[in-house]
Amino acid sequence: MEPSTAARPVIETAALTKVYPGDVTALGGLTVNVAPGITGLIGANGAGKSTLIKILLGLLEPTGGEAKVLGQDSVKDGEQIRQVVGYMPEHDCLPADVTATEFVTHMGRMSGIPGTAAKERAAEALRHVGLHEERYRQIGTYSTGMKQRVKLAQALAGDPRLLLLDEPTNGLDPAGRNAMLELIARIGEEFGISIMVASHLLGEVERICDNLVAIEAGKLLRADTIDSFTRATQMLVIEVEEGTAALLGELARRGLEPRPYQRAVLVPIGGDDTYDAVRDSVASLGLPLSRMEQRRHQVEELFRDEDQREEALDVR
Amino acid sequence: MSVETPAGSSATGVIHDLGYQRYDGPRLGRRRIVAALAWHSFRSAFGFGRGPKAKILPVIALLALCLPAVVNAFAMSRGNPRLVDYDTYQPVLRVLVMTLFVAVQAPELVSRDLRSRVLPLYFSRPIRPSDYPLAKYLAFTAACLVMMEVPLLLLYGGSIANVHGGAAVWAQTRALIPGLLIGLMWSVVLAAISLFLASLSGRRGFATGAVAIFFLLTFTLSEILLQVENSNLRQAGPVPVQGGPGVQIFVGPAPPVSVAEKVSGLFSPFTLMDGVRRWLGGREEALNVLRPGGFGAVYALVLVLITALCLTGLFARYRKARLS
Repeated sequence: MEPSTAARPVIETAALTKVYPGDVTALGGLTVNVAPGITGLIGANGAGKSTLIKILLGLLEPTGGEAKVLGQDSVKDGEQIRQVVGYMPEHDCLPADVTATEFVTHMGRMSGIPGTAAKERAAEALRHVGLHEERYRQIGTYSTGMKQRVKLAQALAGDPRLLLLDEPTNGLDPAGRNAMLELIARIGEEFGISIMVASHLLGEVERICDNLVAIEAGKLLRADTIDSFTRATQMLVIEVEEGTAALLGELARRGLEPRPYQRAVLVPIGGDDTYDAVRDSVASLGLPLSRMEQRRHQVEELFRDEDQREEALDVR
Repeated sequence: MSVETPAGSSATGVIHDLGYQRYDGPRLGRRRIVAALAWHSFRSAFGFGRGPKAKILPVIALLALCLPAVVNAFAMSRGNPRLVDYDTYQPVLRVLVMTLFVAVQAPELVSRDLRSRVLPLYFSRPIRPSDYPLAKYLAFTAACLVMMEVPLLLLYGGSIANVHGGAAVWAQTRALIPGLLIGLMWSVVLAAISLFLASLSGRRGFATGAVAIFFLLTFTLSEILLQVENSNLRQAGPVPVQGGPGVQIFVGPAPPVSVAEKVSGLFSPFTLMDGVRRWLGGREEALNVLRPGGFGAVYALVLVLITALCLTGLFARYRKARLS
């Protein structure tokens, strides 16, 4: 990631901790730097994504540690942060009985854009999300996909430097998801706005992201560029009709890290020599190989087995 | 039902060529944003920025309140003295119309936003969570003020058009000022109570019901208590004197007033406000005959307390900025 390496992180957190009353730990010492560009924030429900977003917006004070957004402290400079950060919530947040133009104009004004400029920006933002034709219709008459676009447009209205999008593809059909992802990619690449997309679907956001941050139970699992991330999450599934135990031993002897997975064996792919080692192991033991395929971790798996594996890497 | 359009699904056949433009102009500070939100809310209290249907009730309510002023102007042009008082106006009409107005319009300001869950969008803007209820309260107080003062000013205009000489105009003006202040008191109190009650529910129907029932029920309760007490005392007391415009008439030695009667007005915002009006020297004859007597200060205290409580409740409602 050439542009990312030099630029200052848009989000920096250091030992960020949030404990809710009743000893519920939402974030447990999260340290991560997010480079400019599009970043996926991956985590299962309850992993702490929303808490992180609230802290980044300066709406929630962390119990410990600190967070900086575009160089500003989340506790002290919440208002300045919110002036340059656009937020798209996960849930429905649109009134039904106003037109998209009126609504986006109003939200632009709430971001501090004066009257006439807010109107112009609303028209612009709605055009960018592809709602130019329909902008004078009441939002209540829109389809789910169009409503998602209005939510994105209102976040764009304040001319943000950073967008925080919470599950932007929620409730959309596959075609709608693709269109939304394309739109996000375009905003990130062509508009020069950094974006953090929170999602529980790794397979979805990885297509458009430069970087990924994976969290679980309020802790960082991994933060890296998308390339190293995918490499690390690629696994080889090997199934033999008998002799699974022997295969496990042989693979380990050859320096791989095999793990039993249901009736098969999982091996992380390090490079081309992984395939060679597997082939040789199976051949030397003379086992009947019934399946060997490359596949991606499911998000949940990724979360289950990565946490003891290694220190998190900064996205620099 | 959602309307399926190309934009909903595979969209993006639409033109996208024009590039993104940054905004380099001035940005409003927090105060100006709050002012913009207050102005937006003030307009929506009268249905502006909504469809024509939303304007029906506020317009009818305002016209209803203005009617006595118009009738008065007509009567005065025929040589009658001023029929309507500035400080009480038409008490029953005002109680009913204002109850209707705040019951329907307070939910318009706060319940809609709760219902559509738009609040997180406000909280993600460069304002503080308490700025939202502040803007709403300022806006609704101003809206109530319009409802209260416009008829009074109309009454004043109609009156001075029909009197002659500086002294007479001055007398009208002197009588108007307490009326305007009473209007301010009503606005401050009604806006606080109705916004707090409306903010408890995102369902508009519930919110309207809660506000209307609260005002009507408490008012009825107080009126019943007053009537029970009055029926015993009416015969004994002197007949209230109908005074001319702007003339303060002392009604002579106060008739014996039971404690029950003195406190009976404490149970409704409207009678409380009328008690305060009397305590501050207002004329007789408004909501039945309310005589707070030595309890006037208690009326003022209870009124301030209720308003403060409602405002505290309203702000507490929005203290925690929630994103979901």
